[in-house]
Order: sequence, then C-alpha cells, then structure tokens
Amino acid sequence: MSAALVPLASLSQIERTPSGEDGLPADLEDDLKAFGCKLIHQAGILLKQKQVAVATAQILFHRFWFVTSMKQFGIGDVGMGALYLASKLEECPLRMRDLINVYDLLLQRATHTLALHSSPNANPDFKYAPMSYFGTTFYDLKDALVVAEMQILKRLGFNVHVVLPYGTLVNYLRVLGLTSREDACTRAWGYLNDALQTPVYALYAIPTIVSAAILLTTRHLHISLPSTPPNCWWDLFDAAWEDVWCVCGYIMRLYRDRDMVERVRVVGMVGKKEVRRWLEENVAEQ
Amino acid sequence: MNYIQLEKLGEGTYATVYKGRSRTTNEIVALKEIHLDAEEGTPSTAIREISLMKELKHVNIVRLHDVIHTETKLVLIFEYCEQDLKKYMDQHGDRGALDPNTVRSFMYQLLKGTSFCHENRVLHRDLKPQNLLINKKGELKLGDFGLARAFGVPVNTFSNEVVTLWYRAPDVLLGSRTYSTSIDVWSCGCIFAEMISGVPLFRGRDNQDQLLHIMRIIGTPDDRALRKLAQDSPEITIKQYPRYPKISFQQVLPKASPQAIDLLENLLQFDPSKRISATDALLHPYFTGTVSTIPYGMNAPPGSMPPPPYNYPHPHAHHHQQQPQQQQQAYVHAQPGMGQQPHMGPPTMGQPNMGQPNMGQPNMYAHQDAARYSQAAQAMAQAQAQAQAQAQAAHAQGLAQAQAQAGYGGYAPQYGQGGR
Ligand SMILES: Nc1ncnc2c1ncn2[C@@H]1O[C@H](COP(=O)(O)OP(=O)(O)O)[C@@H](O)[C@H]1O
Ligand SMILES: [Mg+2]
Repeated sequence: MSAALVPLASLSQIERTPSGEDGLPADLEDDLKAFGCKLIHQAGILLKQKQVAVATAQILFHRFWFVTSMKQFGIGDVGMGALYLASKLEECPLRMRDLINVYDLLLQRATHTLALHSSPNANPDFKYAPMSYFGTTFYDLKDALVVAEMQILKRLGFNVHVVLPYGTLVNYLRVLGLTSREDACTRAWGYLNDALQTPVYALYAIPTIVSAAILLTTRHLHISLPSTPPNCWWDLFDAAWEDVWCVCGYIMRLYRDRDMVERVRVVGMVGKKEVRRWLEENVAEQ
Repeated sequence: MNYIQLEKLGEGTYATVYKGRSRTTNEIVALKEIHLDAEEGTPSTAIREISLMKELKHVNIVRLHDVIHTETKLVLIFEYCEQDLKKYMDQHGDRGALDPNTVRSFMYQLLKGTSFCHENRVLHRDLKPQNLLINKKGELKLGDFGLARAFGVPVNTFSNEVVTLWYRAPDVLLGSRTYSTSIDVWSCGCIFAEMISGVPLFRGRDNQDQLLHIMRIIGTPDDRALRKLAQDSPEITIKQYPRYPKISFQQVLPKASPQAIDLLENLLQFDPSKRISATDALLHPYFTGTVSTIPYGMNAPPGSMPPPPYNYPHPHAHHHQQQPQQQQQAYVHAQPGMGQQPHMGPPTMGQPNMGQPNMGQPNMYAHQDAARYSQAAQAMAQAQAQAQAQAQAAHAQGLAQAQAQAGYGGYAPQYGQGGR
C-alpha cells in the first residue's frame, strides 16, 4: 500500500491553492513553482545528485504548495529543504554545507541576472562571492533549511512516498511497440522530466502523466497509434482522455513564450519577503 | 504535551523510549523521543519510521498512534508493550531458551508481521530480538522501523548499512545493494534459532568474521553457487573462503523438533533466491502439521506471559476435546480477532484503517466445540487465502483507480500540535 499509493491533491486544494487565496495569480504561482523546480534541478546537477532524488524533491515541492502559501515560505528555501529531504529518502544524503553553498551560488546568480535587467550597464560577467566564514549567511540558510525540511514533513503529514514515472514509461513504450524508436523514447522521457516543473505529479496518477508524454511525443513525431474509440491506446493504461489532455496542457504551457518582464519577475520572488512585497504592491486589499 | 512521561523503557540506537500515560484517556503508551539535530535536521530513521508505520496496521506490528513535532524533538507515540523479545528471553527463558510452544507462537507472529510488511512493499531491514516487542497478552509485534524502506518496481539500489551484524544476511555481508524481502527472512531464521537455544546463532565480530561464522554452520557454498550469487547481484565481491562442510542444524540445536529444523533450513539459505518467503513459511508443517507437544499452559512457569495458542492454525482438534477446560480458558484469554487478518487490498487514502475488520470484536470461538472450531479454522484459512488473492489482483490491476484523491495534510489532525 504505502509503496503503491501516492496521495494526490484534493479538488478543493486544486481549485483554491493557499497562494491563490493570498492573492497570488495562478500563472505567477505556476511560474514560481517552475522556477523553484529549475533551481532544484540545477542544484542537483552541481551536486552530482542521483536523478531519483532530484525528481522526488520536485514532486514533494509541488505537493507542498497545495497546503502552504508562498507568502509563508519562499520557493528557494522549500526547494532546498525538499532536495535535502528527498536525498535522505533515496538513501543518498547530502551534506548540508554543500547544499547551502550550491543554493547560495544559484541565488547569487539569479540576483545578478536581475541586476543586469534593471541596470543595463552593470557588469555582464557573473562572479560568485563565496560566503564569508564568519558571516551569518551560512547560519541563516542552515536554519531555513532545517525549518523547510521539517515543515514539508509536518504539512504533508509525513506522506513523503513518491512514485516516479520512468519504469512505467519503459513498460508502455514496450506495449506500444515503440522501444525501437529511439527518438520517441528520448522525447517522451524528456517530457516526463519537464513535467516535473509543473504540478501534474501532485494532481494525476502516473499512467495519466506517462500517457500524456507519449501523446505529445507521437504527435510531434507523426507516429500514428490507434486513437478512435473503442480502440484508443490510452485506454490500455486506464488513462482518461480529458486528464491526459489536461496534463499535455500543463506541459505545453512550459514552452509558451514569455516576455522579459515575466521571465525576470520570478527571479526576484525567490523569498517569501519578496512575494509579500509583490502582493502588497499588486493586490488591492479586499 | 498530552502525555505524562513515566519511567524509561529502553534505549536504542537513536532514540530513548519512555513509558507514558495519556492525560486525557489515561491510556499507557510508549513515547519514543528523537532529538532533532541542527547538523542533520530530521533524522532519516525517524522519517522512515513515521512515513511507513502510519500505513502499516496489523496486530503484529506495533501501532503508531501519534507524532508530536516540536522545534527540538520528535516524539512518536506507540502502543505500549511490556518488553522486547531480548528481555523476555532473559526473564522467561531457561538460560534464554524459550519452551517450544512459545517459540512456535512467537515465530508464527514474527512471520505474520514480516509477511504483512512484504505484502505492502516494506522491508524492515533491522529485525532482531531488541526490535520485537511482546505485550502482556503474549502478542509479538515488530517495532523500530528506523531502517525500513519501501521498495518499488524498478529495483533500486539500497544502502548496504542495514541490519545489526548478527542478523545480517550473507548476501548483504557480501555487499549486495539489490537485496529484497529475503534479507528479513534471514533475520527471522536467526531469531528462530536464538529463541530455541537462548543464544544468538551467528556471533561475528565484524563483517568478514560474521560471514565465516555463517559458513562454519551452513557450509561454504561451492564455486558455482558463489558465481551465481555474483551474477544475481554484480555489486558483491567474492573472495576466497575456507571450505567448511555443512553441519546439520539438529546438531547445533539438539532441542529442536524435526519440523522446526526443516523450517530453519528453509529460512537460512545462503542464496537469497532459495530462501522461503515469509508468507510461505507460515504454511510450513511446523505450524500446520500435527502438534505433538502439550497445549500451552500445562508447563508454563507462573507469571509468564502466555503466548496465545490461537496464533497458529491448530488443526489437531483432539487436544481440545481431551482438555475442554484448558480450551475454554485459553480462548477466553484470546485476543479478539487475532490470526484472522485478511489483507483487504490496496487501501485508499481516505480510509486509513484497512485490513483489520475483526479488531475489537469478541473472539467468536470462545464457546464453540472443538470440531466446529477446526471447521471454522479451515473456513477462515480459505477466506483469508481468498482475500489475499483478491488483494493481490486488485493490487496488480491498475494502481490508477487506487490513487485516491484525498489530498495532502489529510493526516494532519491526527498529529499533535507539539508544545511551544
Ligand atoms: N512500544 C514499546 N513498548 C515498550 N518498549 C518499547 C517500545 N518501543 C521500544 N521499546 C523499548 O525501547 C528500545 C528501543 O526502541 P527502538 O524503537 O528499537 O529504538 P531505536 O530505533 O533507537 O533502536 C527497544 O529495544 C525496547 O526495549
Ligand atoms: Mg532498536
């Protein structure tokens, strides 16, 4: 049971996310989640962490935002906490100091990007300034990390079991006779990874998400599969068309063109303080 | 905190356990206190223990009632048990050795709890007498899931640092990281032998020495067998080992019955793929075959905790016919619903209390005559087998439907707020 079942968000949680209740527009919330996941991903690469731990962290990160508002916790801290926690769950624990250094680097780089946009004559080269040995940055980040990990556990009620989609994808490709199409395998795998930046793993069952990745792949590569009722390939996997379609929507929205303002805005909202400021400036008091 | 802390019950590898009493219900519980370390955050042992035990509800698994999370510590509230198996053997055994009926009852319950974990895709990974708890009804419960983990379909590689040395399977000693349920089965075998003789079966000083201790009794596997092991799990390293011949377990454990020896052989196979599963072990003639010993109670030392005789199938109805008094008494003591725990199939998140429809019901066999009892026992076994088959089918049949949309934090109310 514990291994096979994964908790998904409830309808009311989906309709009214805590951040949404605090006035954060849905598209901004989605962009912030995606950015938080990119940070997790980048940190994972820099730390040479196993992909299973990184993916697990991203899924826990998404679950968290169905029970907590970004006004209360920043995407930076929660992402860091999720990666720390997931690494324990997958038995490849990280050293706190390494994780903190890497997040500090990523956040400095984000700040640098932001500075470039606000003042075009700033120095375009990014130079990392390591934390001072006696400074408070390290201790502040460490506290934030411990609190974030504990809050994830507490607010998810220790439901930290995560099922990853990769094994299922391999099975489905085999069933559909697509394993010889290397381009299809790679592309579908890629969609599954990109989908980690969206909340779908907290919303839909694995077969639905894997079917969506296959649907996008086959459309893109013009591979035809039986798709007229009563012979629809996704029925084999108990996936409902509307759900599969919906997951495709989430994934495709990642690739939508965003203007500069939209792109930069998330970089400046990694912490809860900035989210609060944004809400004060942009949301009229009810 | 909602509990009054009473005396210390025990100290483990990472926690201190106290007896406690609920301020609201007066219920006696066990409080497992885990200190949160600023250097590592929440210990992974605690994370594992809580996330897995919340879901594992079975008579032979110690029940986790609640979790209190404060800034500095985590307190896990468990059902209270009188003592662990180690202390039980020291106190009630004859130089540690338990009488055959107790051994059989405990062994049945140990395998039952282990089999339940495995059915639910959980490896315990640290079965040993100190982590098995006995309550005053003689129920044995698996505790300390601090090293446990869920296992899934794509075979993960796991940590090699599991299981206290003496109970560690040879494949793990050789370095395996792709082990599965068979590692718990090995530990069950070691515990079985220890209950019979009163002393741990293999007492190595370190990894290598432990392996030699094992080989000195069950024999060094031949080259072909070793090569096969290396093939099954490529991460292990095979060295040269002295060639020890196999010694019969009967020689090591002269007191054990032939059926006990046969079960032990099946549990302690060097090759993990040859080890019997916990579920199959429950069907071994040692539990189901003709019982030659006197029913429990005749030879029990005063003050001992009676192991419940209903914990294993008892087809030999004659005994009960010959001793109606005895039977009456035994079944009046019987724990409600024990031994009839069909696993009800994949639970849904909204329905956390699965698998135990019989808990809290009065024992239905209390006043039945022996013949009807044996009939009922058979029917029960059938029903159980059916329920299990159903559960497995349901399990295999698309987890998609089983994914319940219960939402997060659904368990939150169950957790205490913690003192500030
Ligand atoms: N529910 C309980 N009832 C009674 N005693 C317990 C209970 N849980 C643990 N103990 C005692 O405390 C000891 C340590 O507990 P355990 O859960 O094994 O901690 P650790 O993970 O630190 O090894 C056990 O060996 C046992 O003696
Ligand atoms: Mg212990």
